Amino acid sequence: MRPVLEVKNLKMYYNTRAGIVKAADDISFTLAQGESMGLVGESGCGKTSVSMSIMRLLAENANIVNGNIYFKGKDIVKLNDEEINKIRWAGIAMIFQAAMNSLNPVYKVGDQIIEAILAHEPNVTFEESRARVAELYKLVGLDPKRMDNYPHEYSGGMKQRAIIAMSLSCNPDIIIADEPTTALDVIVQDMILKEMAKIQKKLNMSMIYISHDIAVIAEVAEKIAIMYAGKIVELSDAVTVFKKPAHPYTVGLMSSFPSIHGEKKKLVTIPGEPPNLLNAPDHCRFAPRCPFATKECWEKMPLYEEISPNHFVACFHPQNLRKQVSKDA
Amino acid sequence: MLKYIGKRLVQIFILLVVYVAVVFFLLHSMPGGIKAMLTTNPNLTPQARDSILHAFGLDQSLWVQFLTYLKNIFTLNLGVSFSFYPTPVWSIIAERLPRTIFLFATATLISFFIGFSSGKSLAWKRGKVSEYVATIIGVITYTVFTPLLIFVLIWFFGAYLGILPINQFLNPDLWVNTTFDAQTVFLYLLLTVSIVGAAILFSFIVAQKVSHRVKTKKIILYTSTAIASALSIFWWAISPYGIYGADIIWHMVLPVLSVAIISYAGTMLVMRDSMLETIKEDFITTARAKGLPDKVVRDKHAARTAMLPVITNFVLSMGFVVSGGLITESLFSWPGMGMTLLNATLAKDYPLASGALIFTGIFVLFAHLVVDIVYAFLDPRIRY
Ligand SMILES: Nc1ncnc2c1ncn2[C@@H]1O[C@H](COP(=O)(O)OP(=O)(O)OP(=O)(O)O)[C@@H](O)[C@H]1O
Ligand SMILES: [Mg+2]
Repeated sequence: MRPVLEVKNLKMYYNTRAGIVKAADDISFTLAQGESMGLVGESGCGKTSVSMSIMRLLAENANIVNGNIYFKGKDIVKLNDEEINKIRWAGIAMIFQAAMNSLNPVYKVGDQIIEAILAHEPNVTFEESRARVAELYKLVGLDPKRMDNYPHEYSGGMKQRAIIAMSLSCNPDIIIADEPTTALDVIVQDMILKEMAKIQKKLNMSMIYISHDIAVIAEVAEKIAIMYAGKIVELSDAVTVFKKPAHPYTVGLMSSFPSIHGEKKKLVTIPGEPPNLLNAPDHCRFAPRCPFATKECWEKMPLYEEISPNHFVACFHPQNLRKQVSKDA
Repeated sequence: MLKYIGKRLVQIFILLVVYVAVVFFLLHSMPGGIKAMLTTNPNLTPQARDSILHAFGLDQSLWVQFLTYLKNIFTLNLGVSFSFYPTPVWSIIAERLPRTIFLFATATLISFFIGFSSGKSLAWKRGKVSEYVATIIGVITYTVFTPLLIFVLIWFFGAYLGILPINQFLNPDLWVNTTFDAQTVFLYLLLTVSIVGAAILFSFIVAQKVSHRVKTKKIILYTSTAIASALSIFWWAISPYGIYGADIIWHMVLPVLSVAIISYAGTMLVMRDSMLETIKEDFITTARAKGLPDKVVRDKHAARTAMLPVITNFVLSMGFVVSGGLITESLFSWPGMGMTLLNATLAKDYPLASGALIFTGIFVLFAHLVVDIVYAFLDPRIRY
């Protein structure tokens, strides 16, 4: 099956006064129709940068210096403004990290959703679009009467739901959800995520969930990509990543978070500083924090390789690691 | 909304009483005040003096005088002007206030429009040479000494190019044989502009209600504006007032230009700043992500929201507009409130001066109210 989205060797850099920030450095992955993927990593590792590249919503100082992003065969990197505008929302919609501020304070929430529908589907009448928004409101658990309220009349959770409704409004092929629930309390978080996963299955959309919390992602994603310092260091299906993590960073991440399921794990944070992407070194970026680092790790960049079917890892010592983990257990 | 307006009206009333008090006590405490002016004549007999003081009520205590004054003001009994004796102050103000309002409303709308759209574009396309040029020119016109700017304009357009009339309200040579007076023509002008303005506003509201697509809205708005303007121009063309109205408008060009130049830059600079802030907001990213065209993101989302601080700033700069207006009117001999106030003060025409001051105050307070109401419409967060 042809993937809906194929990211190939994407490099997106920020130019800053201090130097070049390699926020997305040689990122590759594919996403099939109906598939849900999780993108996990510490704060500042470049998750948002990757998703912004896919939407091509780049900051003024940001450049895609290399790579391709194929959406249904078209390379997003090369499209002109008009073409990319057609793909935005109707093809790929996004729930932003700062979802709370994603609504314009001066327009009614419903109208902001309708605006997206009318922009992409010129044959839909206003009444039809209103009816669709009402449907979406019901789907995400909001009272359709609330359509005519302004954002400041919504609670945080309601705004979040409205934004999910908005992301669904043009029936996109892909929704990128960048930490869609971080601003909410844990219970609402869990509920909303589960609802999103349900809707995603029902509408057979593809989904990219972004989070720093691997436990949250494991609940909803079939496939997980672990990012560290602008690079994907491990990518596989959720079960493999959980049962047979190959990259030391993945192991570290998993022990950093207690699972929602309540099975108690010791909370260990990964020692060392989170990486600085400014003038990133040419050797393995995790080496300074890695308990298994050898001389090789300090000299070369490990290749991103398929160590077993559909299990990609960028590490010189993935085998070592597995032994280590089983010893601990 | 009505409750909000009602509340603001009460506030305005209280402010007005305070303002009248300030004006009253200021005039009374001035050296060479009215009492001294009436009574220092050495040829007056004591009896004559007392009867003058009694006739003017000046023998009463200051509080009683103030209350009487307040009562008179709210019953629009402003007394009789000394310098235009025996014309009542009220009728002088009634004649001149509309001229000031017309001049300033026109200039303000123009300067707001220019400042708003240029500030918007400057922020949207950052870092171009035009941005630096416009910002520097803006800062210069914003900070330059107003009379100097006006002299330069008068010299350039009136003397050097010789294309615009440089003073007065009209050209007397043209009006010698007319049977109607300038005020009538002027009021017709004012009426026309108000009708056209109301028609545009009405069609804007209708467009908002009827359609939800930007294109249709624009068509409705533009056609109705064009029709209203064409109709009014047609009416003026066939009416006998045609060229006289044009004469007044022609005389307005330079004063309007001056006030607009003095005040556009404030709007432009604030709009630019506010727009730069707004562009960083997350809802702008959302609007872009929705695949809306660049222009829609700029106008409908960024500019519409960035406009709010500009309006606040506009309220704050209103006093500045009044003082600038006084200078402008005097320099162009535009017979409005500013010039009236200045001349009345110089001539020690107390009733007229205080009347003019008070009505300028009322004018500013009501302008505030209008802006507040507009603001309440534009920002749903502060409604009620
Ligand atoms: N406009 C910018 N200019 C320069 N550097 C930037 C810019 N935006 C982001 N960065 C840097 O790029 C790196 C990646 O940022 P990004 O926002 O993609 O991280 P993230 O993984 O989404 O983090 P978080 O979990 O905190 O959202 C960070 O080091 C950040 O400081
Ligand atoms: Mg982020």
